Amino acid sequence: MSITVTGTIQRSDMGAGAWALSTDDGTTYEVHNAPKDLLLPGKKVKVTGQIREDIMTIAMIGPVLEVRSFETVSE
Amino acid sequence: MLISKLVPKDDMKKLLLVGLVLIGLCFGLFNFKGLASQGEFEEIVLDFREDIPISQIDNQLSAIAQQFNLAPQLNSIFSLPDNVYIVKGDRATLKALQKSPVAKSTEYIEPNYIYKALEVPNDPEYNKQWNLRSIKVESAWDETKGSGVTVAVIDTGISPVPDLKQTKFVRGYDFVNNRETVTDDSGHGTHVAGTIAQSTNNNYGVAGIAYEANVMPLKVLSAFGGGTVADIAEAIKFAADHNADVINMSLGGGGDSHLLKDAITYAHRKGVVIIAAAGNASKNAASYPARYPHVIGVAALDPAGEKAPYSNFGAGVDISAPGGVGTGAGGILQETINSDGQAMFVSFQGTSMAAPHVAGVAALVKATGMKEPDQVLNVLKKSAMRVKNDTLNHYGAGQLDAAAAVKLAVRGQISFQDFFRWLRDNGYLNPRFWIDGGAVALFPKLAMVLGSYLLAWFLRVYFPFTWSWSLLGGLVAGSSGLFFLRGFYIFDFPQVPFRVMGSSIPEIGNAIAGNSILNPLFASVLIPFILVAFLLNKPMWKWFAIGTALGVAACLGVNAVVSPAVWGFGSGAIARIFLLINALMCYSLALLAVKEEQPR
Repeated sequence: MSITVTGTIQRSDMGAGAWALSTDDGTTYEVHNAPKDLLLPGKKVKVTGQIREDIMTIAMIGPVLEVRSFETVSE
Repeated sequence: MLISKLVPKDDMKKLLLVGLVLIGLCFGLFNFKGLASQGEFEEIVLDFREDIPISQIDNQLSAIAQQFNLAPQLNSIFSLPDNVYIVKGDRATLKALQKSPVAKSTEYIEPNYIYKALEVPNDPEYNKQWNLRSIKVESAWDETKGSGVTVAVIDTGISPVPDLKQTKFVRGYDFVNNRETVTDDSGHGTHVAGTIAQSTNNNYGVAGIAYEANVMPLKVLSAFGGGTVADIAEAIKFAADHNADVINMSLGGGGDSHLLKDAITYAHRKGVVIIAAAGNASKNAASYPARYPHVIGVAALDPAGEKAPYSNFGAGVDISAPGGVGTGAGGILQETINSDGQAMFVSFQGTSMAAPHVAGVAALVKATGMKEPDQVLNVLKKSAMRVKNDTLNHYGAGQLDAAAAVKLAVRGQISFQDFFRWLRDNGYLNPRFWIDGGAVALFPKLAMVLGSYLLAWFLRVYFPFTWSWSLLGGLVAGSSGLFFLRGFYIFDFPQVPFRVMGSSIPEIGNAIAGNSILNPLFASVLIPFILVAFLLNKPMWKWFAIGTALGVAACLGVNAVVSPAVWGFGSGAIARIFLLINALMCYSLALLAVKEEQPR
């Protein structure tokens, strides 16, 4: 099932570190399989992807969001 | 056959029993050496009598020097008045001295035992490991360092950094790359393994908790720090089939998986203690696999022993351990690899770091000879430092205490009585839900219910009325609420409704916030007064109001004695007086309302 969420990319320093997407409603996703140009702290983006329930991580900061595509959102 | 013909069968049995007892007794006596023979000494203390002339002591000293070829010396300049002398010698010398004529001039001759201070490892960075001191690992090391126990680390793999050189490894597997060699490409697994069994007392780097235990590296997470439940489940089975005693999983996710659950049940049945991190989303339930039955879910503590801000809490949290805050001095320091694969000392934070503390201590507990995983969990929980007023279950059974855990394990098995008493005291008896013992103080609650019934009984003696469900309902609502509901934590379900339903009327004002300071608007005569005023002319509901007034009177009365904390009134005499006056007013209110009922 595909979902689309808008939020800000952040670097989480949990454990060995992870990439997070904080949405405007306060949900934190752990970004998975993201292209390098998405992973810029503070970048506001609209991400389309899939929640991977079958994946477990060391960061454990929220649902795992596997990125299919994204577009930069201008402020 | 011959004996059985000569001796009747029953006597035969008795004979056998007596024989067995005698053999056991002899064996026990033979092996009993007494406590005194366990100490180490290299010197012998001679305490000469004070009632003999100094010249005689000098004679004896020179006799010792000649006969035993020893040079007696005063222990220190302060020993002169007591005539305490020291000679070098072992057990044989000690016996010879005790048998020699010298003994007659002494008060006693005894070994100069060497007492050791707690073992402080010589690792130069050990002073930065606040986390190890906070779990009191040094006293635990007096008993065991985890020798003979195998801890499986299901993680990103383990790289052979210098501070793992003396650490013992057993064969593991890399489920990501499907090969036997297991190395780390993230730095996480190596760090976690370090907390469990970093090489210690090697004059290098930092220490680990169970540093004589074997480590089994199992890689299921890739460099980015994620992996599939299928690989994790296989790794758990691998560990169980290869004689792992403890499994550490510093990983988690949101998905419930039958495969994973089955693997955990399998490993638990094989006697493996399974530990997992509670998760770092700061939400009120642990992530999977920590939330599964048979898995010890670990929440994280900051250096002050408070819940770390990121740590999950509530359902699924069994115990708490240091997870650190930040990546500086407040984090957990171990040696691991950086992104270029080079070894370095780094501080990490997370429930990922808290779980291996519990895994390390579980290994120490298992090394004392405790086998059953449920027993190990009980020892860990029972020995944990309880945190008072932990209404949201931030800490589980409490903060991990390595020293107390190992001591408890060594002291022997927990008897069924102990266990049952502990279960009951902590409210763990409900099998369906995990009930937090800290949430409900049972005794005051029972006092409130009983007190309200006593008050009602008292009223009834003077003003006869009939018991009704509405009265009983009022009594319960006013005095205690459905207090057993308060300790319920159901996964992903907000706990607030349970706290509110589990609260009496006077406590509702503070149930939402989850603290124990009474709100004076609720903890007063106000609500019973409103209820009585509105319901007095309703034949059935009136009894609910009366019951409520009596219940609130009992609740306030008990609170005035047991815990008189009222918002704005402090927790001293003023709060007590406030509660007592209101309790009396509630009782008077009930009295008036009942009087109203009586035919004049």
